[in-house]
Amino acid sequence: MSDNETETKAITIRTAGFDARFPNTNQTKHCWQNYVDYFKCIKARGEDFAPCQQFFRAYHSLCPNDFISKWDTQREEGNFPVKLDP
Amino acid sequence: MKFQPHPYHLVEPSPWPLAGAIALLITTVSAVCYFHGYGHGGVFLTIGLLGVLSTMGLWWADVIREGTFLGHHTVRVQQGLILGIILFIVSEVFFFLSIFWAFFDSALAPTVELGCSWPPAGIQPIDPWELPLVNTILLLSSGATVTWSHHSLIAGDRKNALLALIYTIVLALIFTGVQLYEYYNAPFTISDGAFGSCFFFGTGFHGGHVLIGSIFLGVGLYRLINYHLTKHHHVGYEGAILYWHFVDVVWLFLFIFVYVWGGGEPPLL
Repeated sequence: MSDNETETKAITIRTAGFDARFPNTNQTKHCWQNYVDYFKCIKARGEDFAPCQQFFRAYHSLCPNDFISKWDTQREEGNFPVKLDP
Repeated sequence: MKFQPHPYHLVEPSPWPLAGAIALLITTVSAVCYFHGYGHGGVFLTIGLLGVLSTMGLWWADVIREGTFLGHHTVRVQQGLILGIILFIVSEVFFFLSIFWAFFDSALAPTVELGCSWPPAGIQPIDPWELPLVNTILLLSSGATVTWSHHSLIAGDRKNALLALIYTIVLALIFTGVQLYEYYNAPFTISDGAFGSCFFFGTGFHGGHVLIGSIFLGVGLYRLINYHLTKHHHVGYEGAILYWHFVDVVWLFLFIFVYVWGGGEPPLL
């Protein structure tokens, strides 16, 4: 093609790592656990606590968006089946 | 009596098998009609059920006549009848096995919809150490009293055979009353998710079997009073006793796995 220099940048793509608590193909509980752990984490340590973001990234990688929006709605309506308060 | 060169009972022609089949057909078809809201489904369902109950009563009355009054029940025939009753109870065991399978499938690995916990979020289970414990004691005692009655019968002690059987039936009726009270006052219904379904499916069918067992024992009481039973020959009564012990064992499984284990951690207060 052209002689222009093209810049290449390395992109890192990651997903949630293997969690021995959820070894099987069906990762629903893995997704759910990270969702619950994130909200428990920010309730306990505040939204600015950086390590909570690990759970945030994990559940956004693992969970279908439908699950996330369904659970978010349940939380808003007070119907989420887990007590997220510490 | 004609001499027969074999110990078996070749029965006279009977209308009850065909009557039972027709009654069951009416029952099943009308049940489906009733569930789907077809006109008079309920009426035909009632007719069908009455037909089934009548066939049972009339058929077994014939068996009693053939055995107790006509003398057709040789030892070989008695053995066959007891085997049949045992096999029927085995089939009932498999039925309850399927109910417990459903319970464990839901309860051992509760889904995310239930909040991954058992009892599920929002369910207030019944304290097993209150009325359910009373029920356990009632049924275990009734198992003891029915054994006392049986042994008294074998020993020729008519008074205690009758007394102990009456105690057994009274205990059974008290159990039923306590369960009705629990059902009326339960903090959850059959519609309350997997927990409600499993709980009432299991305890409900068990309660139905308690009623059947109570009737079976009641027939035994009637026959004992009216001198049908002897110390050597009382197959119908033995069947009722076996059925009653089966009902007791199912309750023990319900109590341990559904009430105690399934109830989870007791409330803090």
